[in-house]
Amino acid sequence: MAVARPPERSAAPRPRRGGRSGRAWRWTAGSGLALVVLAAVHLVAQHFVVDETGGMRTYQQVLDYLANPVILAVEGGLLVAVTIHAMLGVRGILLDLDPGPRARRRIDVGLSVLGVATVAYGLVLLVTLAIRA
Amino acid sequence: MSAAGTPGLPGAAERAAPGPVRHKGGAGGVRGWLDPRGRTIGGRSFALHRLTGVALVAYLYVHLGVLSLLLVGESAWSDFLGVVTSKGFLLFDVVLLFAVLFHGLNGIRVALVGSGYAVRHERALLWAVVAIGAPALAYGALHILGGL
Repeated sequence: MAVARPPERSAAPRPRRGGRSGRAWRWTAGSGLALVVLAAVHLVAQHFVVDETGGMRTYQQVLDYLANPVILAVEGGLLVAVTIHAMLGVRGILLDLDPGPRARRRIDVGLSVLGVATVAYGLVLLVTLAIRA
Repeated sequence: MSAAGTPGLPGAAERAAPGPVRHKGGAGGVRGWLDPRGRTIGGRSFALHRLTGVALVAYLYVHLGVLSLLLVGESAWSDFLGVVTSKGFLLFDVVLLFAVLFHGLNGIRVALVGSGYAVRHERALLWAVVAIGAPALAYGALHILGGL
């Protein structure tokens, strides 16, 4: 008796909407739009609020600034957004050099590691300074 | 994204050669960015967007390194402030402000055009970048340099 066999799966991967490059572009654009707001807040706060030369904060002024939990959250968000945007931007530039598949994987892994390390160090720095206030 | 100079494609040798850009899609990797010949204003803004982006990535890590001085203590931070509030460094701050403003405002334009909105108004958006960015840069520069 013949046994009905399930239809063979296609060897081609199911197409995703936009694919990987579309997702990368959306994250780059999204993080960039977040940065427009967060970086503007950061620049105004760091250069246009304090009456010192260039608007630069003294040591105690920096600690007092970071002691505010809302400010800490904004600065942490800025760090995450700028790191995502930077890593994806660098990735876009490197991919324009048309690397091979192995090099592309190394680029993705390398930038992911660099991005995670950057965010981790920055958050440790922010929290440490906030605790000192 | 098509690769410049992929062997076997028609015109591959032309696209791989440095010089005026005849087709969209690049010409000779990074050197192609810096070659303004044959580029439209949109192509030049693309090159400047990438250059400011690379500069800002480098600044990100310099900035994190500098902020680490806060962990050392108040005297280290005060010494640092003494250096960066000199005129030379304040001018660097103005250059940095230009990079941030251009990359940010042009990035909004790229996001709009890339998403399919305002594709026909790309040139007008470029002029909007200049119209918003130039006064903001002027105000920021005067404030940073102590004129305001």
